[in-house]
Amino acid sequence: MRVPGRTDDHEWSQQHLSHYVEGDLSPRARRRLDHHARDCVDCGRGIRAMRALVYVAHGLGGLAGVRAPETIFDRVRSAGAG
Amino acid sequence: MRSPDGRRAPELRDTEASLLARAQAGDVAAFERLSGRYADRLFMLLLRLLGDRTEAEDVAQEVMLRAWQGITRFRGQSSYFTWLYRIAVNEANRALEKRARRPAGVAIGPEELQLPAPAVLDPSRQAENSELRRALGRALADLPPPLRTALVLRDIEGLSTQEAAEIAGIGEAAFKSRLHQARLRVRAAIGDEALASSGG
Repeated sequence: MRVPGRTDDHEWSQQHLSHYVEGDLSPRARRRLDHHARDCVDCGRGIRAMRALVYVAHGLGGLAGVRAPETIFDRVRSAGAG
Repeated sequence: MRSPDGRRAPELRDTEASLLARAQAGDVAAFERLSGRYADRLFMLLLRLLGDRTEAEDVAQEVMLRAWQGITRFRGQSSYFTWLYRIAVNEANRALEKRARRPAGVAIGPEELQLPAPAVLDPSRQAENSELRRALGRALADLPPPLRTALVLRDIEGLSTQEAAEIAGIGEAAFKSRLHQARLRVRAAIGDEALASSGG
């Protein structure tokens, strides 16, 4: 069986950064990514970037004062009256 | 009717179950009160998925009409909110498919994404934040609708994977696959440096 080299680990890690921050990796896969990211600047930065992305996206949540239009039930009322 | 201290009398307090039962019996007012509880949030979802206020207003009306027409088929296997959101996602996808057949593309602006601007940020940080918001808006707009839906439901709306998958109408594994793809694409579009500077 072939032992994965650095290039394999790097590409695999880059593809699994979201799984990593989501906690979707098996313990073995998580160890693999942890081990690789310890020595890989790109993947270390990638983990931080992915965490930041999730954080920023969560910050977009909420209504921020947006209200549904008054007309939202107009078609229901027309159908109900019909 | 309100009591002297301003609180509603208990007998007039409408539970979701009682409103649902009345709506299923054909009471339009009960349907409006039931669905109206989620109207602002639903409209915000449509803004995020469609990126166009006029279109979101049109689709929101259609969502409510579809819900009204289908309410007798709602059996409570999911929450009413989940059921209504699922109709919204389906109608948004239908609108996006129609739009894809037209020449102009979607343009989600930061105002539609509604990132609250913290008041205490220094000017340079505010500029970074604003730029990041625009970058995220552009990246979201470029995502194929199924991936955009996954990222909006899970990361922006903050729903659980289970609930988001149910609303998207797919299994959890498929939903996660879409979410991971969406995040990878958005990360690539924005760039690690810009994301890291967000302080998240």
